[in-house]
Amino acid sequence: MAFEIGVMTFGEVTKDPATGARPSPRQRVRDTIEQARAADQVGLDVFGVGEHHRSDFVGSAPSILLAAAAAVTERIRLTSSVTVLSSEDPVRVWEQFATIDLLSAGRAEIIAGRGSYTESFPLFGYDLQDYADLFREKLDLLLKIREQNPLTWNGRFRAPLVDADIAPRADGTTIPVWVGVGGSPASAISTGRLGLPMALGLLLGPITFHEQTVQLYRAAAAKAGYDAQALPVSINAHGFVGRSSQHARDVMYPYFAQGMMENNHQRGAGFALSRPVFDAQSSPGSGLLVGSSQEIIDKLLAYHELYGLTRAIIHIGFGGMPQQEHLEAIERLGTDVAPVVRREVAGRVVAAA
Amino acid sequence: MTAPVLDGAAPAASAAGTVLRVVVVNGSPNQQSKTMGLVDVILSALGEIVPFEASRIDVYRLGPGFTGATGRDDVTEEVEAALQRAEQADLLIAATPVSHGSYPGMFKHFFDLVGQYALTNKLVLLAATGGGDRHALMLEHAMRPLFGFFQALTVPVAIFASAGDFDGTVLLNPRVHGRTQMALADVAGLLKARVHPG
Repeated sequence: MAFEIGVMTFGEVTKDPATGARPSPRQRVRDTIEQARAADQVGLDVFGVGEHHRSDFVGSAPSILLAAAAAVTERIRLTSSVTVLSSEDPVRVWEQFATIDLLSAGRAEIIAGRGSYTESFPLFGYDLQDYADLFREKLDLLLKIREQNPLTWNGRFRAPLVDADIAPRADGTTIPVWVGVGGSPASAISTGRLGLPMALGLLLGPITFHEQTVQLYRAAAAKAGYDAQALPVSINAHGFVGRSSQHARDVMYPYFAQGMMENNHQRGAGFALSRPVFDAQSSPGSGLLVGSSQEIIDKLLAYHELYGLTRAIIHIGFGGMPQQEHLEAIERLGTDVAPVVRREVAGRVVAAA
Repeated sequence: MTAPVLDGAAPAASAAGTVLRVVVVNGSPNQQSKTMGLVDVILSALGEIVPFEASRIDVYRLGPGFTGATGRDDVTEEVEAALQRAEQADLLIAATPVSHGSYPGMFKHFFDLVGQYALTNKLVLLAATGGGDRHALMLEHAMRPLFGFFQALTVPVAIFASAGDFDGTVLLNPRVHGRTQMALADVAGLLKARVHPG
């Protein structure tokens, strides 16, 4: 399995802390599609859009953004990052992503998640008390829809399906469904038991943060009869590829700090990420993928060695970032970083075989 | 082996005194409870070791005859029966979520009504759940001293599980299962010593 490298966005609509300018939502949806096109042109493997139901993101309907991206790209895979499946109707999710799959000639993927933001639950009439049961049931339905058509199915959270014809079907044989895992042991284990690919989310913390997550996942998968070493695992972390180490940190820091302040609320207020703390989180032993091209190469290889990853998706522009900087980072990732990492990982796989 | 009975009523057969009487005091306010998910795991592992009859006291469902009592003399008959059941257990499992930095006040209120010497030398297994691992030491800093007051014999290994170890109320993390096995190995040893002293 070739190592895949991609980028993702939440479609941030945030005031630039340097200029005070806030991009219009119209501008940001267009920026998002331009990012997808740029990522495709520089040969990146995956483009992801996250789902958030708030005014400071334009990504409340990622499937529509991905459909628009499908029309302007040729080769890149298009994924939600993530679909908040717990508050969605899996029938609708399937219909939308199968349509993207047709538009893109088989490039659609879904990362199903429980959601770390909770706005979608009251919007769609779901109770957060049912958090675990909702996800389990909806994932079950999504996988059944993927497996068979027509489908007869019964559950607690929606009307039963009786011999239901759910169309369109995938362009090829299937649509990959990954599960987004933030690190709780139970999510890792239940994902492993289902033999589904696991997308690891990492906000801040040491690069080794997910060692136990991956161990538990592979052990559960093996116990359930899957080839645990063959299952795809990805890391999804924040980052930015700069001209130099210093440039990368200087560009990313003010936006990322703003993102942490506006999104990571505790005690009703944001979390102030100081520059020394950010710099520490950018060190070789930490998880953030920020630095020069060479630093990112080194860190992706370190991630691969630690976890046996098959994919890395870098979230660029959390907290908002000027489009020009964003596009340049995509270009460096595609032209300087990705070819080296793919070659080095392929070499490791051959050596191990 | 006798299947665990968790209907909250005292098992009738325990009068014979031959089967181990396990009583769970449950400090969770929730019907769907991670704490009881953890207790299910403990009881099922205990069943592999020794036959027993289990009953459960949900302190949040004892009602006004419990919450309105300021002393043992004030309680209703049903609450008196629950208190006596706990006092007469062969193995008491004290299980509670961590709430506001400790066990919930309702849980403490139950033990405030238990006689000062009613738990002397009683085998007590401590278990708790919390939102994250940083709550784990509540077991050692709050729960164990409570039973120290009673001069009870607490099992050396207390069992803690975090919210992330559960899918809903089903405990998935094998490390907690391992911890449970370790705690119950000591319970088995202690029970054996009580049946065959010396």
